[in-house]
Amino acid sequence: MSAQNGAILEIRGYSKAYGEGAKAVDNVSLTVEPGDIYGFIGHNGAGKSTTIRAVVGVLDFTEGEILIDGHSVKEEPIACKSITAYIPDNPDLYDNLTGIQYLNFIADVFGIDAAKREERIRKYADELEITEALGDLITSYSHGMKQKLAIISALIHDPKLLVLDEPFVGLDPKATFTLKEIMHQRCAEGAAVFFSTHVLDVAEKLCNKVAIIKKGKIIASGTMEELTNGQSLEETFLEVADE
Amino acid sequence: MNNASRVLLKNLLLATSRMNTYRYSTDRKKKKRALMNMIGAGVLYVMLISYSASFGFACGSMGIAAAIPAMCALLICILAFFRTIFRTNGYLFNFREYDMLMALPFEPKTVAACKFFYMYANSLPWYMSISAAMMAGYGFYEKPPVYIYPVWILLTAILPLVPMVGAAFVGFLFAKISIGFRAKKAVQTVLLFAFVIFCFSLRYIIEGIFKNDQLNETVETLANAAKQAGICYPPIAWFSDSITKSSISGMLLLVGISLVLFSVVFRLVGNSYRRINSAMQSHEASKKYRMTAQKVRSVRSAVAFKEMKRMLGSTTYMVNVGMGEVLAVLLGIVVLIFGFDRIIGTVTQGAPLTAAMLYPAIPLIVYFMIGMLPTTVCSPSLEGDNYWIVQSLPIEKKVLYQGKMLFNLYLSIPAMAIATVCFCISAKAPLLNTVLYLICGTVLCVFSTVWGCVCGLKHIRLDWENEVEVIKQGAAVLIYLFPNMIVTMALCVLAVILGMKMSQNLLTIVLIFIMTVLSGLSYLHLMKLIRKSS
Repeated sequence: MSAQNGAILEIRGYSKAYGEGAKAVDNVSLTVEPGDIYGFIGHNGAGKSTTIRAVVGVLDFTEGEILIDGHSVKEEPIACKSITAYIPDNPDLYDNLTGIQYLNFIADVFGIDAAKREERIRKYADELEITEALGDLITSYSHGMKQKLAIISALIHDPKLLVLDEPFVGLDPKATFTLKEIMHQRCAEGAAVFFSTHVLDVAEKLCNKVAIIKKGKIIASGTMEELTNGQSLEETFLEVADE
Repeated sequence: MNNASRVLLKNLLLATSRMNTYRYSTDRKKKKRALMNMIGAGVLYVMLISYSASFGFACGSMGIAAAIPAMCALLICILAFFRTIFRTNGYLFNFREYDMLMALPFEPKTVAACKFFYMYANSLPWYMSISAAMMAGYGFYEKPPVYIYPVWILLTAILPLVPMVGAAFVGFLFAKISIGFRAKKAVQTVLLFAFVIFCFSLRYIIEGIFKNDQLNETVETLANAAKQAGICYPPIAWFSDSITKSSISGMLLLVGISLVLFSVVFRLVGNSYRRINSAMQSHEASKKYRMTAQKVRSVRSAVAFKEMKRMLGSTTYMVNVGMGEVLAVLLGIVVLIFGFDRIIGTVTQGAPLTAAMLYPAIPLIVYFMIGMLPTTVCSPSLEGDNYWIVQSLPIEKKVLYQGKMLFNLYLSIPAMAIATVCFCISAKAPLLNTVLYLICGTVLCVFSTVWGCVCGLKHIRLDWENEVEVIKQGAAVLIYLFPNMIVTMALCVLAVILGMKMSQNLLTIVLIFIMTVLSGLSYLHLMKLIRKSS
């Protein structure tokens, strides 16, 4: 299947129900194009993580279609995962590996050659100021350091789509700034970022597109300008989410 | 095995390697613990090898060396099956790093197969130790051609595959069935309990069939029992024939069937893997809760309640620590229905023992099951990443551990009381004996709870990757489980012998006194450990 409109991520009518109960996510559709930094916002339990986990191929789903660079997540999961990177909100890394052993594992999985992996690890580890800790066991890392390691592991294979679930939680101000820079840089190179956040100020400054999800349904989406219409994102969010 | 599988398997083994922790940890305590764990494992290997070698040489000296390969295969297959069935849920399903692995470009069947091979690679040294030690006995007495030794070792590596795949498939079926229900974990736990109890009773069912067919003579000797096992379970016969008759067909069948079975099962598992894990890790939020008056509990009861919820939230935890209680109650009911004499006759293979002779052993028989694995052995380590919660609360550590012990007593004492009363009614034990056995059982429960807590706290391990590591194979579990089982079995025999020479009630009172003193000493030691760890 090839990309029909050049979208990097296309979600069409995605729904997820648990058992016979109500749908956790209901008929979600959105499109992320190259160069987009797409913010996905909503209350706790609105369906953000359920959508993100389906996008990255972790969660099974029955209704709808999710395409990454034209590949179906259902039909061609490996092709999709090869060009995607995912950072969960609370990354569960292997505590008894050292940071560098973990990064080498990820690089091995993606088949990155020695020169490239060294160059990328050095670049991002230096930027995130974690190089000196790479020889220590992950168990000794703070939450923020684990988050930084997860970010490096996500960038090591030069993904076309970065999917991040609450990426700024636990990061220090310098690392937050660096991550935002990396997101801009990746998008300038033709990749795209799709991330969930509760920090509306960050989303407003960072994203060019936003979708608001409430009780599993997209209630508003579009470019930042279309959506906010001169208001702040916070005001817009409170307005539409409380309707 | 393709490259992705190799990378993943290598990483899974590295991530749980004690050597890796020892090499790279900067925490001296952690380094020391990793070293102690490695030494402990070494000691266990030496014990296992010594035991298996003595068994092999004993068989040889009894003139049944030819049956050693079949017995070795039987032992390995039983161990492989039960080790796997208890670990499938936890390693194959419901593991912590599921999201991270599934977001990487791995096929679901690759992840499932690697998780299986991880279990296999972890268990193989145990099976190899048993096998090599028994091979020494066989070699000494049978003097087989030299090429038999590498064949033996090679086939030992293949032998656990069929029982492990079988156990993994059972675990997969239970997981698949359970996802159709709202109470997934409860259904999975009940199925697993029922299956394990069925397996335990299988021995008696098979024996019953043989007896009905007048074949009981054939299972009287160890050698013939192994032969009989080969008829019921062909891989044992294939292994044995490969060694004793140099049977090429036996070798090919064992290797071929193992590989085919593995491929078929993991294709099936792979097809449903994501669906099962998605369903097991997702929970429907009912959003129907209405605020009502809340129940107020004491701090200890609140900790005990938390422990109960922790146990009910994990099939692996429930099955492993609850099995003893379930077995005790079930055995009590079975004894009540079928009669004490009949059940004891079956268990003791018709030894000349009357019900009255066995009275003093009743609390110990019940304790053998109840005290198998108290929750207190695993619960300190199971705090894991959540340890900060109890650490940051304004409660003394002493109170925390008292709460943990309280929960184990809530769990064990009622089960002990039901089983003991059933045994006593069925055996027509006098009322005074029954009361004494109930007191003795209670003291034994207290001892197992406190001693379990000592082991659990002394060998606490919070940085586990998978809860199976601290429930099934943690240092605390190994240190508690085996000595406790062996001592209890020895005490059972001793109680029967002494009971024939002195007043049975006096014997029980002495036992109550000794266990009370031991419980007290264990409690004092526990308090010392708590003070040290604060």
